[in-house]
Amino acid sequence: MKKLIALLCAAAIAMSLGACSSGGNAANLPASVSGQTTANNGGEAATTDEKTPVTINFDQFSGSGDNETYLKQMIDLYTAANPHVTVKLQSYGYDDYFKQLSAKVAAGKAPDVFELNYENFAAYAGNGSLSTIDGMGVDTSVYNQMALQAFSFSGVQYGVPNSFSNVVLIYNKDLFDQAGEAYPTDDWKWEDAMSAAEKIRALDDNIFGYYHSLSFSEFYKTVAQNGGSFLSVDGKAFAFNSPQNLETLTYMVDMQTKTNVMPTAAQLGAMGDWDLFKSGRLGMIVTGIWAFPDFTRDCDFAWDVEVEPGHTQKATHFFSNGYVIAKDTSIAEEAAQFITFISSNRQATQIRLDAAWELPPINDEEIVSQYKAQTPPANREAVFKSLDYLVTPPVITQFVELQDIVGRNLLDCANGLVTPQQCLDKMQEECSSSIDLTAGGTS
Amino acid sequence: MRNAKIRNAVMAFTFLLPSLLGFAVFSILPMLVSATVSLSDWDGLHELTLFDDAAGFFREYGVGLSHYAAIFRSAELWQTLGNTLEFVVTYVPLMLIAALGVGLILTQKRRGSGVLRALYYIPVITSWVAGALVWRWALSPEYGIVNAILDIVGIRGTMWLQSEDWAMPGIVLASVWKDMGYFGLMFFAGLRSIDQGYYEAAQIDGAGRVRQFINVTLPMLSPTMFFVIIISIINSLQIFPQVMVMTPGGGPGGSTMVMVERIYTRAFSYYQMGYASALSWVLFAVIFIMTFVQMKLQEGWVTYSV
Amino acid sequence: MFYWIGAGSLAVVVCVPFFFMISTAFKSRGALMNIPMEWIPKEPTMEAFAKLFDVPYFIRSMGNSLYIAASCTAAQLLFASMAAFALTKIPFKGQKVIFSLFVTALMIPVQITFIPIFIILTRLGLTNSLNAFILFQFFNAFAIFMLRQRMLTIHDALIEAALIDGADWWRIFFQIVIPLCGGTLATLGILSFMSVWNDYLLPLVLLSDRAKATLPVILSGLSSQYKYQYDLMMAGALVSIVPIFVLYICVQGQFKEGMTVGGVKG
Repeated sequence: MKKLIALLCAAAIAMSLGACSSGGNAANLPASVSGQTTANNGGEAATTDEKTPVTINFDQFSGSGDNETYLKQMIDLYTAANPHVTVKLQSYGYDDYFKQLSAKVAAGKAPDVFELNYENFAAYAGNGSLSTIDGMGVDTSVYNQMALQAFSFSGVQYGVPNSFSNVVLIYNKDLFDQAGEAYPTDDWKWEDAMSAAEKIRALDDNIFGYYHSLSFSEFYKTVAQNGGSFLSVDGKAFAFNSPQNLETLTYMVDMQTKTNVMPTAAQLGAMGDWDLFKSGRLGMIVTGIWAFPDFTRDCDFAWDVEVEPGHTQKATHFFSNGYVIAKDTSIAEEAAQFITFISSNRQATQIRLDAAWELPPINDEEIVSQYKAQTPPANREAVFKSLDYLVTPPVITQFVELQDIVGRNLLDCANGLVTPQQCLDKMQEECSSSIDLTAGGTS
Repeated sequence: MRNAKIRNAVMAFTFLLPSLLGFAVFSILPMLVSATVSLSDWDGLHELTLFDDAAGFFREYGVGLSHYAAIFRSAELWQTLGNTLEFVVTYVPLMLIAALGVGLILTQKRRGSGVLRALYYIPVITSWVAGALVWRWALSPEYGIVNAILDIVGIRGTMWLQSEDWAMPGIVLASVWKDMGYFGLMFFAGLRSIDQGYYEAAQIDGAGRVRQFINVTLPMLSPTMFFVIIISIINSLQIFPQVMVMTPGGGPGGSTMVMVERIYTRAFSYYQMGYASALSWVLFAVIFIMTFVQMKLQEGWVTYSV
Repeated sequence: MFYWIGAGSLAVVVCVPFFFMISTAFKSRGALMNIPMEWIPKEPTMEAFAKLFDVPYFIRSMGNSLYIAASCTAAQLLFASMAAFALTKIPFKGQKVIFSLFVTALMIPVQITFIPIFIILTRLGLTNSLNAFILFQFFNAFAIFMLRQRMLTIHDALIEAALIDGADWWRIFFQIVIPLCGGTLATLGILSFMSVWNDYLLPLVLLSDRAKATLPVILSGLSSQYKYQYDLMMAGALVSIVPIFVLYICVQGQFKEGMTVGGVKG
């Protein structure tokens, strides 16, 4: 009883404090917010040069570390052309980004403009937390349409891509030479890759032939290379259990456990997959083009890239980050102008390109040819050829959960805890029971 | 007499005032909020309107006790709770022994004990990110130092973090390494505050070193021991960062999937704040029960003064 | 002999990872992945450190972290010992209940209370203020618990004697109890300094102004871009533990105090 009273007292104190603080808050709105309201009203008669000052709060993760400098240059370009706009940039490391974003959204302090990756986009869009850019006078035709599509949900465009990257086959030329194998070509099949990988594996006990991560996206794409899919034809149910999927999973696991051209987790030890490649002990790695700057700096051997091998067909996948606008912002139009500018303006994308910071998401011949001219790798053409075979994962609000379930089961399969067949059965069971496919947008 | 009682109560309240304030605002209030959120389907993708319009909040998101019902029906709860408890029952005793050892070594007045004191503290201040990198290497089946040492003693090593059975023990090992200096320092402080007079009295009674340890050191250290046990149980039930960095994705066969990892993932990756809050209250109940039992048991063995 | 074998081997176990950190931090990039591992870099380089100190606001963030850690530690020690004093030495009804309530505060994972705490602090208008973190130290269950355990072992006779001599509670607190707890306070001081120094969830969201960021926030910003650059990561980790280590060495002389003063009480 005493404890209960003490608890109630404490709660009462707490509540009264809470009430005080929220009461005091209304009068305390940041100046920027009240300024923004007027900015919007003035926007109707916007033909005059006298624009009311606007502050755009902008949170993002892809431009942290060195890249923040380049992002700032891009922002400066915009504010120089639009002196009434102030951009308050906040950069976070990826690991913390979504946590702090949730906290801000919860507190009603969501930034006007923020960055989302492909994986989290559907959750925000599907739950009505974003504001559309349709009808804001934004020209979306300049974007790579695949990347643009990644930020549309149920036919509504909620943001624009800021960068774009896909996955290719990166190979160590020196190891191919040593093994006396011809370099990969763009019509390679799984068998070609595996036979080269086995030759390279035979060079030394510590040298491996092939690596691809056992992750959702890798599996999704490799399944597509074999004409399979996770989903039923109408996209309304999971269909993990198919002969194509089983064959694909067996292929992915066998290269570890049977032929061992790919190191097992135990053989990899504490090393990362990139580390293995950089140390010159890996023939081929399937990874994103964002590895280029790192590999350029750290590899002291010759390397190049090619379109990934396929099986019954080719399939590649891509990642994209985009800028979106918060639902409750009062400056949606200004925000739309701003995000389009920094992601697609010629000068702004030039800064990104010069910094070798992924691939600008636009269809500009000039920009594209400049990108191709940089080396290494010499065969950057492959990056663009790969775009012809893009497959896109389903856009569903529970995407991260789907990713986790599939990824976890793949690891168990690779560790030999379950057979490929059991693995697919478990994926089917877990996904069907916890993921609602009908809450999706387009797929 | 009555006046003195009231005066004392007022005085005690004055001394407690800052803590009570902080407790109300930064502990009770957030706990009430999370308890309320646990009855809702709030996703963390919208503003939390609970403070301003609780009724409206419940109209929009309220789901009653359904998260709790779902949690108790889920296989996930029993699996993660089992893993968490496995960690607690292996980690706590091992850590106590190691930390007591550290505390005892540190109290020895010998040359170089200052240096040892500094060295033993190093793992405590090393971040888990760095610590995990090292431990993943140390526990790696082929090149790792742990298996190499076991090999010398003639024991066949295991796959450690890649094995369903040994991943959790691997994490326990790393955690004991990291925490023994932390709790060792507390034991050290406790040992230091034992009055030398008790030892002198015991010596006069003819007690040897072992008898002194049992009759003087252990009882006099019991308040510290009690504190360390409570804190380490509470902390280890909330084990999280080492699991995330050493076995991302829940470990082989989900063998290192623990409660707080699930809470964290559901809250910030799956956007299920309501479910995650309910899960954290289930964890609270487990911690509460275990602490309560300890608090009751202490009357039997903790001596505050002789 | 037994002592030296035990103490020595423990020291080795403890130091190997630390040595690994140091050696990695000084390695040149090519040497990072060599097999067998280079325990002592063949060509040590300061490159990683140079790059680290070039990061915008890096030095500034160390200053911010020092400021927060020092002020929070001072506040925590004062307020927690006041509370522990009231809970052990001033007799009043409800000591046990309040203590039990305080301990429950340790039982809810911070991952779940972090959003409500952030909302409360935003509503109190406490964003972007280094001093706001002191408020956070008004209550610390861990510190109160630890000090309570120490104070319970102080004989009540000592307090009663002082009361009869006419001392008031404040004098008893500052002149008798605090000095007796010197060792525990020093220990707690280290632990609390360390936890504030390493804390980054709240600083991350509360101190959005770059010039006010703390060291862990700056370092974690680096980690996502440079996660494969182990030299840089380890250099960052090393730099961030130096201040705690120095403080630890300085304070460890104080650990003894509790005992020598405590000897009076017998």
